[in-house]
Amino acid sequence: MLSSKEYKELFPALKRKINGHDLIYLDNAATTLRSKEVMDAVCEYSLNHHANVHRSSHTLAAEATKMYEDARERVANFIDAENEEIIFTKGATESINLIAYSLATSKIIQPEEEILITTLEHHANFVPWQQIGKIFNIRVKYYQAKNGIFNFDDYLTYISHKTRVISITAVSNVTGQVIPIEELISKVRQIRKDIIIVVDGAQSVPHLPTNVKKMDADFLVFSGHKMLGPTGVGVLFGKKEYLNKINPFLFGGEMIDKVTTKDTSFNILPYKFEAGTPNVDGAVGLAKAIEILEDIGMQNIKEHDKILTDYAIEQLKLLNFLEIYGPKNESQCSIVSFNVKGIHPHDVSQLLNDLYGIAIRSGHHCAQPIMEELGVKSTCRISFYIYNEKEDIDKLILGLKKVWEWLK
Amino acid sequence: MVKIGLEDLYSDIILDYAKNSKYKKEISSASKSEGKNMSCGDEITLFVKVKDDVIEEISFLGHGCIISQASAAMMCEILEGKTLQEATQIFEEVINMSQGNDFNKELIDGVGIFSDISNFPMRTKCFTLAWHTFEEALKSYHNRSEKL
Ligand SMILES: Cc1ncc(COP(=O)(O)O)c(C=O)c1O
Repeated sequence: MLSSKEYKELFPALKRKINGHDLIYLDNAATTLRSKEVMDAVCEYSLNHHANVHRSSHTLAAEATKMYEDARERVANFIDAENEEIIFTKGATESINLIAYSLATSKIIQPEEEILITTLEHHANFVPWQQIGKIFNIRVKYYQAKNGIFNFDDYLTYISHKTRVISITAVSNVTGQVIPIEELISKVRQIRKDIIIVVDGAQSVPHLPTNVKKMDADFLVFSGHKMLGPTGVGVLFGKKEYLNKINPFLFGGEMIDKVTTKDTSFNILPYKFEAGTPNVDGAVGLAKAIEILEDIGMQNIKEHDKILTDYAIEQLKLLNFLEIYGPKNESQCSIVSFNVKGIHPHDVSQLLNDLYGIAIRSGHHCAQPIMEELGVKSTCRISFYIYNEKEDIDKLILGLKKVWEWLK
Repeated sequence: MVKIGLEDLYSDIILDYAKNSKYKKEISSASKSEGKNMSCGDEITLFVKVKDDVIEEISFLGHGCIISQASAAMMCEILEGKTLQEATQIFEEVINMSQGNDFNKELIDGVGIFSDISNFPMRTKCFTLAWHTFEEALKSYHNRSEKL
């Protein structure tokens, strides 16, 4: 287990008092806290090196360009991709919209073909496909995760000769269930080689070692702010083969090669997909965040989060006034969802915050289809990261007992 | 800013309204209106029976947090027996209160316990859900009578 006390020191928010209590932050699946190191890196770039990238030739411009491209390289190494396969976006949401829209406008998906998504998805990996399907008249098929739990064999039966694209989360942002993505991709490839596989790594990349070569996904998306980086920066990884084939999503400056009144040809990868002045601050911050994660070691982070998740499930199971969702076993990573019987999650989170300074998430977590599978409207969700420790869970348990006493 | 405590927000009175309201039921043959809080998934159905411009009977069903349920129950209690004009005035004052603006205390005595709800911006939406649903009911009532 990581020495989380040490890491706590690096995050100023953890020194805050909430109603007189030390903040206990258990909402990492929504976004992680800000570290001083990451903000210092962003600040250093902004104050001393900021210029527009890839355009001017003065010193600052050269420095900014180098820092931006170094950030790309850091991201590429982090997931074992090539530099030109890394596109900086605004976040996982924009990355998925880019893929869905570009695949459709490039006519890589034909109207008689199907897109397969699941009821486990965050709205960011659900609504874009559904809407693209409507606009371009492509059928979208929904894998129904019964009781909100992914079942491998069930899932495979949804794949047919019409399936052209599958898009699936690697970790459910509601139940924390880890989908065996590598195994899934290898099985899908055995059924049909040319299915385009998109993986939503928003909840997996921050917690589990990720290697796109081993994983063999065609596209992988994730967000900077869920892995210690700034908001407003995300990543789209795509295999060169597809990135070269699909149309750009945004048109404008920097993404062009030659522009005339007749037509425009596009820049090479990755610039073809990065129209306009990019979020350099975000990229620099994300690179610093990845440096921190690499220093700790993704394997260590995985184990740390796992120990906390297992401990949380074990402790929560002892409270007979709770309903816990998801597999409740070893296939869960860093996220646990539950409800206090008969009590609305908003009331639970309000009391935990005000009485103990504990920050949890309550609501539908931008994942209404899985709420329907679970037969609820909303849940309480706790989620961990490097600065959490077992004592945080102990305090949560105390808090939940108090909530039950007060509101039952 | 006057800070009201959690004890106020989750007082026995509020808990009692939320859990034991006689207004939580369906009224058959009443007109229905529905309200939703997108971000929390909360939903409420309001039943309103109007006769000669007076709210003869009013009730609600739905699910939501204690604040939203207590607010709905108190709303029904206040509005029952009021004329539509009085009810509209009450609605406006409640919204003023929820936004932290000046409001007529006497007129909305029945929800006075929530007078500082604007200090809990994350909960204001829960508090106003029932009231906005009532606003919808008023609108559809007026639309209907215009057509008649
Ligand atoms: C599984 C999953 N996918 C996508 C997203 C969207 O990420 P962002 O809002 O950073 O674009 C989230 C964020 O909550 C998520 O949990």
